[in-house]
Amino acid sequence: MMTRIRRSWSCRMFLQLIGLALCVGVTTPGWAVPSFARQTGMACAACHTVFPELTPFGREFKLNGYVLDNIKQVTGIDTADRQTLALNTLPPISLMAQISYTHTKSALPDTAISGAVAKDGDLLFPQQVSLFYAGKIADGLGAFIQLTYDGVGDSFGFDNTDIRYAHHWLFGGSNDNGHSLIVGVTLNNNPTVQDVWNTTPAWGVPFSASSVAPSAITSAKIDSGAGGFGQNVGGLGAYLWLDDHFYAEITDYTSAIRGGAHPLDSTQSNVVSGSAPYWRLAYEQRWDRNSLSVGAFGLNASLHPGLVGTTNTALSGVTDKFRDIAGDVQYQFIGEDHLVTGLATYIHERQTLNASVLDGFAANLHNSLKTLKLTGEYYYQRKIGGTVGYFSTTGTTDGVLYAPAPLTGSASNGPDTNGYLLEVNYLPWLNTKLQAQYIGYEKFNGQKTNYDGSGRNASANNTMYLLVWLNF
Amino acid sequence: MMKSNFAVAVAMTASVWVGGIARGAEAAPDPATDSEKAALRKTVQTCGTCHGVNGRSVSPTFPNLAAQQAPYIELQLKAFKDQSRADPDAQAYMWGMAAQLSDATIAALAGYFAAQPAAPARGGTSVLIDQGKNLFEEGVPARQIPPCASCHGAHAEGLANFPRLAGQHAPYLLKQLLVIQSVLRTAPVMHGVIKDLTKDQMQAVVAYLASL
Repeated sequence: MMTRIRRSWSCRMFLQLIGLALCVGVTTPGWAVPSFARQTGMACAACHTVFPELTPFGREFKLNGYVLDNIKQVTGIDTADRQTLALNTLPPISLMAQISYTHTKSALPDTAISGAVAKDGDLLFPQQVSLFYAGKIADGLGAFIQLTYDGVGDSFGFDNTDIRYAHHWLFGGSNDNGHSLIVGVTLNNNPTVQDVWNTTPAWGVPFSASSVAPSAITSAKIDSGAGGFGQNVGGLGAYLWLDDHFYAEITDYTSAIRGGAHPLDSTQSNVVSGSAPYWRLAYEQRWDRNSLSVGAFGLNASLHPGLVGTTNTALSGVTDKFRDIAGDVQYQFIGEDHLVTGLATYIHERQTLNASVLDGFAANLHNSLKTLKLTGEYYYQRKIGGTVGYFSTTGTTDGVLYAPAPLTGSASNGPDTNGYLLEVNYLPWLNTKLQAQYIGYEKFNGQKTNYDGSGRNASANNTMYLLVWLNF
Repeated sequence: MMKSNFAVAVAMTASVWVGGIARGAEAAPDPATDSEKAALRKTVQTCGTCHGVNGRSVSPTFPNLAAQQAPYIELQLKAFKDQSRADPDAQAYMWGMAAQLSDATIAALAGYFAAQPAAPARGGTSVLIDQGKNLFEEGVPARQIPPCASCHGAHAEGLANFPRLAGQHAPYLLKQLLVIQSVLRTAPVMHGVIKDLTKDQMQAVVAYLASL
């Protein structure tokens, strides 16, 4: 899919490249996997309000390492009666299928013929099909491993992965002075894929979106998803979860780009120099049917631009530095009939582009990006519901980084994009979602009108997206 | 900075744990062996995710188990395991959770939660609570509904297979009355007793029970 896009549009600016990658791969939804249900014997509703959003119990399940099992185990012990094997008799395998139809308000440009337009509306059958191993591997050790066939790229590849070990202690007795502590280790390939709240990027709103509609020219590194950091890094981290209230985590990432030259060299893009530490703090309070969490997270990354467009730059010398700091708030009410969720995320990214300025890929040494996402959801009996959301990215203008280009560029050299999201979802069964989504843009890549310098207005990218989402 | 804070937090919590584990062991019942004790502890952790390790749950979807009658807990766990209790939440949550429990573990869990102290009474007075108290203690003679207290005890403390109702979440109790009345949950004695109970009467009696 990347090849198709590279043929048609200017890709000189490496952040713009990421923007293009986001166009075609921003969502790789997972979770909600029925193998967890098979392993625990519990219905989806135990762990999810409506998939993929997690309930407090779902968060506990994940933090405990995906290992809660209520099915017969294949076991082994050694002579000291220590357990050497505890394996589900049923393999924790699941399938997910997404079939979607996308319609943008104005047709997209033809990728080969200048001035021509592509077919109006696009059916993806499938948009995505994923195979999961999701569940227990051994006592305390569990995994969420996703392999995905992508309908646009017509390719099958490694997707989100989180392998974790956790141990749970109770201390101080079961009285009111008692404490609970989970300590865990995670090995994963996408910053925030290991997180348990739906305010962090990997599992944030929209839970699924079109893989063919245009998306904004850039996003913060922590929010870059597939085509950015998502599945292109590997990280090892440790976390603790104290008294069902306090969460703290540090995970250190480095590049683990799939395909291309290995060891990584100048033909790869955005290669992490050294390592990129990610941190996360959160506090959650639960009362009655409510839960409220307030948190912060961030990522510090130094990157070698590597391949930018057709220019190779060596993975040495100065780097581009990205410092992302984010705050998030999540509220859930889980009633018998009514379910309400509020999600808020704010991300601030400070960029110091030593390498890009030196190589002529950016004009400013310092740029910033500010992203705000606000979402409200309501469901009735987990069957029918909707989402209303607002999103906004603002940032420094940069004449080189954000250059004009048909559809994907910025005539004003700015990344500012904002708009709204409306969604209606119907779930005839807990593992089946029928979705109609509309994303409307007030501003796209800096402007409301003629944002790309080729006469396209922000509203031309307004997208209607219909989705059949099956998990089994 | 973050790394050092993290290390300090781990060290602090670990030291509290080392000091506290002995005290925790004292509070548990007395299973025969260390491995049984460890297994029970692990199972209690799992149950505690929803019901609270101390048997006092946060969400009213999940009942309090603290001070519940041990024979009743045992009976229900077996009914979840053999799937004879089949109301919606039983199927969604408890069929799986109880599927692999041995009779010995069920008995140990029942003993553990029965031994946990009940939450202090919430108290409160209102017309609804007064109506509920009256219904609990007197029944509705005109509709041949006997007093709940005759089986569940004067203070709703329960007796053997008759569950403790005192201090239970009102929404949970209301839901149970509804699923028993509609026979989604089988409870032979209760079907006859509450067949003519109105939803208003249910709301009154559960408000009273939650206040105890």
